[in-house]
Amino acid sequence: MTFPTDNGRDCSRAWEAMPWVLLDSAPQEQNEELMAHLSTCESCRAEFAQQDRLRRAVSLPSDIPLDANVGLKRLLARLDAPQEEPVRARQGGWFTRALVAAVLLQAVGLGALGIRLWSEEANPAYRTLSQTAAPVAAGAIHVVPDTNMKVADWDAVLRNLHLQVVGGPNDVGAYTVVATDPASTPEQTLRQLRGTHGIRFAEPVAGTP
Amino acid sequence: MNDAENDADATDRLLLQRMSAGDRVALSVLYRSYHGRLCRFLSRLTRRADIIEEVINDCFWIAWQKSATFHGDSRVSTWIMGIAYRCGLKALRQHGSEPVDEDSLPEDRIPSHDPDDDRVLRDWLGKGLDRLSVDQRVVIELVYGVGHSLDDVAVIMQCPVGTVKARLFHARVKLRNVLPGLAGEVSTTKESVP
Repeated sequence: MTFPTDNGRDCSRAWEAMPWVLLDSAPQEQNEELMAHLSTCESCRAEFAQQDRLRRAVSLPSDIPLDANVGLKRLLARLDAPQEEPVRARQGGWFTRALVAAVLLQAVGLGALGIRLWSEEANPAYRTLSQTAAPVAAGAIHVVPDTNMKVADWDAVLRNLHLQVVGGPNDVGAYTVVATDPASTPEQTLRQLRGTHGIRFAEPVAGTP
Repeated sequence: MNDAENDADATDRLLLQRMSAGDRVALSVLYRSYHGRLCRFLSRLTRRADIIEEVINDCFWIAWQKSATFHGDSRVSTWIMGIAYRCGLKALRQHGSEPVDEDSLPEDRIPSHDPDDDRVLRDWLGKGLDRLSVDQRVVIELVYGVGHSLDDVAVIMQCPVGTVKARLFHARVKLRNVLPGLAGEVSTTKESVP
């Protein structure tokens, strides 16, 4: 802070001391120090005179005439009113309640959003390399149909061999299929697939490197 | 605190103690004792007499309700001024500052005993305080008018002492810059009045 009467360190100290000296709350030493300074510094003397005028002006009684007895009578009447609260509190009641309701609503919404995000995080739509592979049904087979094979032909193969696609196609066009006929063994299905026209690759999932 | 302040505080504490036991006479004594200074203090926040009276009554309504919880951590006057300050700020938020133009005040609202010198001084101060923020006006009133220490003012305004120091400093600087000019203005106005 730069003191307005900053003609030197003494002026700064004088500026600090003025209110407390004027209010008789400064220690005697500070009082004497200020008086000594004022006798030699015209600028601070003028400031001190103005501070004194300010103190006198502020100390004047209020110019707003209010009758203490009238006010007191109203206060006592108010105390007699059962459970009366300050008027402003009553007027603000509906607003406060609306605010509380809005905050509660927000809290519920945030809670619901949090639960949803948490559940989504618990079952992410991706798998890291360190995670174990998703479980595959027993007897599943990876099948790569020829790229030229028509959808109708592929459907016919699946229907004839009682197969159901449970995964794929992946990046290399491989499907994962399982047999829907409990009577057929995986080896038998594998042989049939390998012997089917248009099937380029068929290997059991467990045997896939 | 000097002896007179200690005595006044001891009396106030006794009154509060009686108030906590439901003594309305004690409330009346305390109310009358603080009415003048609260009225002047609150007039630094608003010029509306109705709001000032409402705030004083809110303040004493709270003091009446909470008198039993006063633990004496501060002077009673600091406690009451703090309540009044917070009630005053609430009232300002509700009513706005809505200052009443001094010129619109009916003549009979200016105290009849007000000598010319006081009126000049009052005008000079009013014009100076108009240049300050509400917080700066409050600090000037509490320090120069009521005589509170910086620590007391910090308790009343619920802010650090450093903040009070800064507000007082800036208020003084502003007043120092404007008051000399206003003194000339007020004198001229006074001289021009027949």
